Amino acid sequence: MRPRATPWSPTRRRWTFKMTPFRGVMLAILGLAVVILGYRFVVGLGAVTNLTDQWAWSFWTWWKLSAVALAGAGYATMFMIYFMGRERYRDVERGAFVVSMLGYLMLCCALLIDLGQWYNAYRPIYNWGYHSVMFELFWCVGSYTVVLVIEFFIIFEERVPWNPLHAVLKKIHAPLLLLACFLPVFHQSALVGLYVITKGRLDPLWWSQLLPVYAVMTFFYIGPAVVMLENVIANRVYGRPVHMKIISDMFPVAALVMFMYLVLRLADYAVRGVFDELLSGSLYANLALIELGIGVALPMVMFANRELRTSRRSMVVASLLAVGGIWLFRFNVTMAGLVESIGVGWYRPHWMETVVVLGLASGVALAYLFIVENFPIYTPEDVAASEAAVAEATARAKAADVRPKVGVLPVEHVKELERTGSSR
Amino acid sequence: MTPKDLQDPTSDADVAPDGERRGSLSRRAFLKTAAVTTGAVGVVATTATPAAASGMVPESDPDELAREHADDPGLLIDITRCVGCARCVRACKLDNDLEWRQDQPATGVDAALASSNWSVVRAVGLETMQDSRLGPRRRIARRYVKEQCMHCLEPACASACFVAALHKSEEGPVLYDGERCVGCRYCLMACPFGVPTFEWDETFGRVQKCDFCAERTAEGDPTACAEACEQGAVTFGRRGELLTEAWSRIAADERYVHHVYGEREVGGTSIMYISDVPFEELGLPTDLPTDPLPTYTWEVSRILPPFAAGFTVTIMALYARRQRVVREREEAEAKAGEEVDAR
Repeated sequence: MRPRATPWSPTRRRWTFKMTPFRGVMLAILGLAVVILGYRFVVGLGAVTNLTDQWAWSFWTWWKLSAVALAGAGYATMFMIYFMGRERYRDVERGAFVVSMLGYLMLCCALLIDLGQWYNAYRPIYNWGYHSVMFELFWCVGSYTVVLVIEFFIIFEERVPWNPLHAVLKKIHAPLLLLACFLPVFHQSALVGLYVITKGRLDPLWWSQLLPVYAVMTFFYIGPAVVMLENVIANRVYGRPVHMKIISDMFPVAALVMFMYLVLRLADYAVRGVFDELLSGSLYANLALIELGIGVALPMVMFANRELRTSRRSMVVASLLAVGGIWLFRFNVTMAGLVESIGVGWYRPHWMETVVVLGLASGVALAYLFIVENFPIYTPEDVAASEAAVAEATARAKAADVRPKVGVLPVEHVKELERTGSSR
Repeated sequence: MTPKDLQDPTSDADVAPDGERRGSLSRRAFLKTAAVTTGAVGVVATTATPAAASGMVPESDPDELAREHADDPGLLIDITRCVGCARCVRACKLDNDLEWRQDQPATGVDAALASSNWSVVRAVGLETMQDSRLGPRRRIARRYVKEQCMHCLEPACASACFVAALHKSEEGPVLYDGERCVGCRYCLMACPFGVPTFEWDETFGRVQKCDFCAERTAEGDPTACAEACEQGAVTFGRRGELLTEAWSRIAADERYVHHVYGEREVGGTSIMYISDVPFEELGLPTDLPTDPLPTYTWEVSRILPPFAAGFTVTIMALYARRQRVVREREEAEAKAGEEVDAR
């Protein structure tokens, strides 16, 4: 993260968060989740989940592993900017960064609520279980989240004229960048790598020594797809332009990684001799085929196609497919692939467990909206464009006598820009 | 800062409004960072090597493991001798101060290890066809399987524990330290026998599992369950000797299945079973590899240090190149500016 040439006025005092019915619903879910978590911290895990000694990890783990892979958005974008010199990607940088930071903060929350003796969570600092994949995970996720939050201070100080870290930040920016590039590779691999030890129990269609490698590759290729979805959502909510040029520039790289991933998965099947199982027509085989066919191969072809990748509609479809493929892969590893060996049937999440997950998701969404509306995330040009869209929609709605659909970004932003003379 | 600067897409935003350079680093500062990071990676790599020599690497050869642990305490459970009296279960509960709970049956067909069941005796109904004078007849045979921690020679649970709350003790038992435990339940996922259990109904849930009566066995005394058994179904002894005993029983009676369960499963376990019905039908996991499970994780973590070093060097090279490009462009812009001024 680098400071902007035209910082937004640090003197603006008012913080805004406009309520809409949809945000009200999300807030209510978040509130309910907090109440449930309070209950969980009093009476224990058994009361709010359907976890048993057989299904010791399940629904929450699936959610965590899948959701945090989507944090690849910030990673891919910032890697291209700071290490590959794609300076123009900076128009989408901050949005992607916020998605990643919130993803990791959510992961930390989700990890903490899943612990029995959570007050011991600091212990790996001096009780080293260095032979555990979880140990690597603890250190890398922890330090990466800290790195992301420190990076956020660069945005923060453009909004709030108080930053105790200013002097330190200047000094440690380069090592911070290197760490930010380095750490995710290890904990993303570790997250799915946790399941390497289930050899003999996880179905061979998913168990592989290469599970950590697969995890990292999926993390790498999903970035552009998430940036795409983030852009489309921001367009829907704020009328911010979709940076199709930048994103379609990122897709071929994703397609290349997806191709390598696919080849590796299939080669791995061939070497371990499970190709027959893949074509056996069983439920597992179908899940694997859907995962690789519709979740990887199809979006790969779409990303690689020169015409399709400039079309917003088809890229939304392809991105959703790719994201779905990642969720299915992690579903297969954490839940489906273990059903047979666990032998007590499929896991059915408790309703409270589900509400907690929805609450975490709502929390991330609300935090994203708040940050975008109060910090300089979108470029001044984007804000101007979104203001124009808001004005147009308001005028149109007024003419038709209905409530406007877009129009959440506060007008003060644009006024501020006009005053500093940086608006077009 | 003028509007023109903003509109110029090539202008690099490294320059803050006060004209101060931030974000990008000078070459010297970068080299310093690079040197420090490389040094750190080097230190980690060199310290990792002795760490590897001192027991970090799991032993993967079952024969070597068997030799190494021949004098460890062990149990031999003979399924043919067990009558399902569950005296062992009672002894275990009394000795370890464990509750009897309605929702956690310790005997019968539904018996399962649970937070207050360190040891259970599970009944298994086996359908067999027997010839009689009236033709083949369906008969139900019963077998009883005593279950508890297997005390693996190279335990997956201990390798999975990221605070080392579980560890294989010198004497043999796999021990658990509840004070340290974070309650992540990775051990439950890692154990191939489904042994560790969790206190789901406690505010601060811990893991529960059999400790092989560590205090008794350290003195050379048999475990509570072995002491309680009057049928000779649970024999306490040294693992190596028990193994010999097991094979001599198998050799003496052809009705035994020709396999000692636990001899080689996941590298070998301290508790071993012999039986007259296939172990699969007893509900014991039989698809297990003979390699200890930690070796699979080790194969992955083994390549980490060199990979980390390579990755660090690569990204630093990329970063350095990037910095050079930025600097050259800035210099070119400065030069262009001077020319304009001269005119």
